[in-house]
Amino acid sequence: MDSSRQTKFLVAAVLLLLVPRFSYAIPAFSRQYGTSCTTCHIDFPKLNDFGKAFKDAGFKFPKDDESFLKAPPIMLGAPAQAELWPHTVYPGVIPGLPPIGLRYNTFFQQASANRNNFNAVLPVGTVGTFIPKSDFQPGLFSIFTAGNFGSGISFWVDDDISVAGANSNGGLGDGWVKFNNISRLFKLPTDSLSLRVGQFELDIPFSQARTWNMSGWDIFDEANIGVQNGLAPLQNVNNGFAFSSPAVGLELSGGHAYGGYHYSVAVVGQNTSGAAANPPNVSPQNGVAFASDSNFKDLYGRFSYRFNLERDKASRTDIQAAGATGPRDHTSLALGTFYYYGRSVQSLSGVLADGVTPTVLTAREPFYRIGGDVNFNYRTFNLFGVYLAGHDHNLLPVTSGEAEGPTGFVVSNPATFSGGFVEADYLALPWMMAIMRWDVVKSSADRVNFIEYDPAAPPSSSFFSPYSATRNRFTPGVQFLIHANIKASFEYQIRPKQIVYDPATGTALTQPFRTNLATAGLEWVY
Amino acid sequence: MKRNALVGLIALAALTTAAYAGTIHGKVSGVSGESVVYVEAIAGKTFPAPAQHVLIDQKGLMFAPHIVAVAQGTTVDFLNSDSVAHNVFWISISGNKKLGHNLGTWPKGQKQSFKFDNPGVVPLLCNVHPEMAAYVIVSPTPYFATTDKSGEYKIENVPDGAYTVTAWHEGAKYKSNPVKVAGDTTADFTLSK
Ligand SMILES: [Cu+2]
Repeated sequence: MDSSRQTKFLVAAVLLLLVPRFSYAIPAFSRQYGTSCTTCHIDFPKLNDFGKAFKDAGFKFPKDDESFLKAPPIMLGAPAQAELWPHTVYPGVIPGLPPIGLRYNTFFQQASANRNNFNAVLPVGTVGTFIPKSDFQPGLFSIFTAGNFGSGISFWVDDDISVAGANSNGGLGDGWVKFNNISRLFKLPTDSLSLRVGQFELDIPFSQARTWNMSGWDIFDEANIGVQNGLAPLQNVNNGFAFSSPAVGLELSGGHAYGGYHYSVAVVGQNTSGAAANPPNVSPQNGVAFASDSNFKDLYGRFSYRFNLERDKASRTDIQAAGATGPRDHTSLALGTFYYYGRSVQSLSGVLADGVTPTVLTAREPFYRIGGDVNFNYRTFNLFGVYLAGHDHNLLPVTSGEAEGPTGFVVSNPATFSGGFVEADYLALPWMMAIMRWDVVKSSADRVNFIEYDPAAPPSSSFFSPYSATRNRFTPGVQFLIHANIKASFEYQIRPKQIVYDPATGTALTQPFRTNLATAGLEWVY
Repeated sequence: MKRNALVGLIALAALTTAAYAGTIHGKVSGVSGESVVYVEAIAGKTFPAPAQHVLIDQKGLMFAPHIVAVAQGTTVDFLNSDSVAHNVFWISISGNKKLGHNLGTWPKGQKQSFKFDNPGVVPLLCNVHPEMAAYVIVSPTPYFATTDKSGEYKIENVPDGAYTVTAWHEGAKYKSNPVKVAGDTTADFTLSK
């Protein structure tokens, strides 16, 4: 069990280090409306206020959408058919042009000289993992499709075609349908209630799946996985949940991203262990497996409020503020909070109280994530951040007396982590955005995973690990729009301090060091 | 009744001017679509600013019409017919950056006016929608015409005399030719990119 967790952690660490993120802009909309990417994006895929309103409206212009469509939608039934309902299929539309966007990116990366220090833990003569000094990466080819079916029903599917794996590492990203503004059916205020069904990134304050950064924010990638070792306090957490993974379920939401309140409440399936059941006696719908590993469904909620700060009321409440020389994004301050509650499942073989009869012991550990966020915008300067705290109950398997295996669980110190990020984006020119980021993660699980390594109690093996309980990362970057749909990005990740110990003796094999990484990327969407 | 009288008056005026003025007509070739042909400034002659306003609409994320020819001194009304914010600005008039101007932004259904006192080519842009573009060709004389799609044009009521006549087409090099107008005169232009 330990070694598999270590592998998981190692793989995650390597992926975090090496795989640049991907991002989206939707050329399908550009085609439907005959307009530039910059109508909705500042340095795509970062949305401007108009883009946020377009998204809130279900991928439609907030008002008079039909008058902007360059290719009229195809009617799936004349609008007058609606009067016949329920004796006919309710009329809808599909986009007049296939709503397909494509994206490709390619990378070059350069790692610092000490990048192979981890091989020092291997016995002499063992072939280790080789990280090249520089590397060309093919990147990803993705297809994404999104649009509106009429009656406020919008849809989104994105998929990475070229890379093996799933979720944020390739494969299906988001795939959902959203019933926008169902509040109108209940005579509630416009846009106060929408329903989304499918696979989606949780409504986190800043999208990791559609981030403009080359590397994602560390805190949204943080899973609470802690191996058991000789260090106190003991822990037994194997909770693969991270905000960057897509969730599957239902979401109710309302409000607007460009001003005023916004909320969402979601009920999602959980699979914190990574194990999917594939039983022979039932046929799961996808023909492969069940997606959840528990009866319990996890809950997520978010509330935020954005204050637009213009003095003039018309300007303040409009989608964009009226500037002296043309509309611009609002000067605004947004505050938000979010909360996730779930249970992580860990099953292991144990014995009954008699000490011999085999049984399966299952820990259903409650866990929560709670966070707050702030987002300040002044003209082309955007300062924002997230603080997130995670808490897992931490049930430890115990063996009573002379039993041949674990007989139950006891509550130990919770496995917690906290951290977040602060980022400043400055759009110096319409085609150039400078970025400075500080990511921080402080994790008890990470600490026990060899971080504050105790030479008196050597661990059984060694692997990639931060040097201290707190991982800091500074990431300056700059991005250039070569065209509205072609972007060159640069990022320099100043990584956390690390150290390599001899797993047998606990002797430090290296001085503390950092493996910094410079990445250059080229991305185009069409 | 009143209207008939007015039409009659206009017809009479046209007849009297026709007695001493000529017509320039011809074809602009080498390019496709609409071009603008106008008579350059005439030494010692000024013209009163036309009272009639000309309208340019912003509708469906497009300027309409795309090309507008007006006489110097004409006031153009810019209307926003869209429920999104637009803007109108130009960085120069015939390359003169000192004549650049930004009209700002205004809501649906409202107009903003500008009097074009300087002749030249005004490339209109919107700073929200970079794909939006239009041209106002401010003719220094009231003798101008927009060609039809095939390039044919006709400028009427041009007094007999010697002039410089310019043909302009979006994206092509403009061409100025000397033209001696005596009654019905032909002037063809061949433009190239
Ligand atoms: Cu516009």
